[in-house]
Amino acid sequence: MGGGQSVPKITKQDRAILELKLQRDKVKQYQKKIQTVLDREHEIAKQCLATGQKDRALLALRRRKYQESLLSKTDGQLENLEQLVSTIEFSLVEVSVLHGLQQGNEVLKEIHKELNIENVERILDETAEAREVQREIGDMLANTLSMEDEEAVQAELRELQSEALGVGETERPITLPSVPETTPVSKAQEAVEEQPERARVPVAA
Amino acid sequence: MSLSPHTTPSGFRLPSIHAAPPFFTQQPNPATQAVATEQWSRLILSYAKHRNLFTIKVEDAQTTGGDWDEILRNDRINRKLNTSYLAYILEQMERSCRLAFDPPKQSISAVLYWRTPEEWAEVLHEWATSTGQLNTILTFYEIIEPPVPSPLSGVPMSILRRAINLLIKSNRAQLIAVADGEGVRFLNGSTSK
Repeated sequence: MGGGQSVPKITKQDRAILELKLQRDKVKQYQKKIQTVLDREHEIAKQCLATGQKDRALLALRRRKYQESLLSKTDGQLENLEQLVSTIEFSLVEVSVLHGLQQGNEVLKEIHKELNIENVERILDETAEAREVQREIGDMLANTLSMEDEEAVQAELRELQSEALGVGETERPITLPSVPETTPVSKAQEAVEEQPERARVPVAA
Repeated sequence: MSLSPHTTPSGFRLPSIHAAPPFFTQQPNPATQAVATEQWSRLILSYAKHRNLFTIKVEDAQTTGGDWDEILRNDRINRKLNTSYLAYILEQMERSCRLAFDPPKQSISAVLYWRTPEEWAEVLHEWATSTGQLNTILTFYEIIEPPVPSPLSGVPMSILRRAINLLIKSNRAQLIAVADGEGVRFLNGSTSK
């Protein structure tokens, strides 16, 4: 579909950031170069020592020291540049946050304009009125049934109820157990009387 | 000598055809040659991907101790690719868009497309998204030489440019130019096509 997203405009800040970053890259490249020089001088010093040229080795090491100091200086510059870039980027974030807050604030104001007290009162009143009308309509509709009709409806309901309950009950005759004619004798009691005697029989060792 | 795959010291598995002596010489039969060329281009691309190599030069066939030693020569059968054959293979690969001569208008050194520029564009955008660098301005240098190694470390400038141009076309990147150089800003553009 048609290009949904519009490309943001390139602002002055964007250019500034880019320039800073390009500078930073240059410093980084420079550092790389120095690093290789450092390594090379180290190698040269080693070789000179191996061939017994002490003064040349010393010279190489001096050069190396100088390059090292350059490297540490560029480190400082690099830090400065990166800090600046970070600060700018962070400020841009802050600006966008502020922008967001502003927009939110405006929307809130807009909403509050709609939501003033008078409007709320009016709407609540209107709602109450509408509810009143609704209740009246409901009452009127309920009252359209005459008393006779109401009685007929009630009768029908009773009929239905009795059908649901009564039919089920009559179909199942109630059968109860008959009362016992003889007095019950407890057999358990007799058994209990015999047991203690048995327990006393001595067991042959 | 049996034809079997062989694993090089760098961990790359050479196909068995690499141990066949005729593979290293140009074939008179065009059909045979076409197959061999296809095999060679696949071999070169997969090796490049394995070692993260981006460029190949015709003279790589001659130099010893170079990056391409492991596939352009096979000491076990005492064979190596000669320069004219490699030049022929590279030309064929250029025709099938699997490499581009870089700088253009010569046929000695080439940039390999083991990912097509379209694929690189996706990789680039994914990287920018996953590292939270959408909407920030990046220099080309920091993309190809990031402090933390990324899939894009060492990508040649020509590939990077093509990938960025593709992203610009789909509204997912924006080129910013100043006097000193250029930068790019990746955008969260819609990925739907």
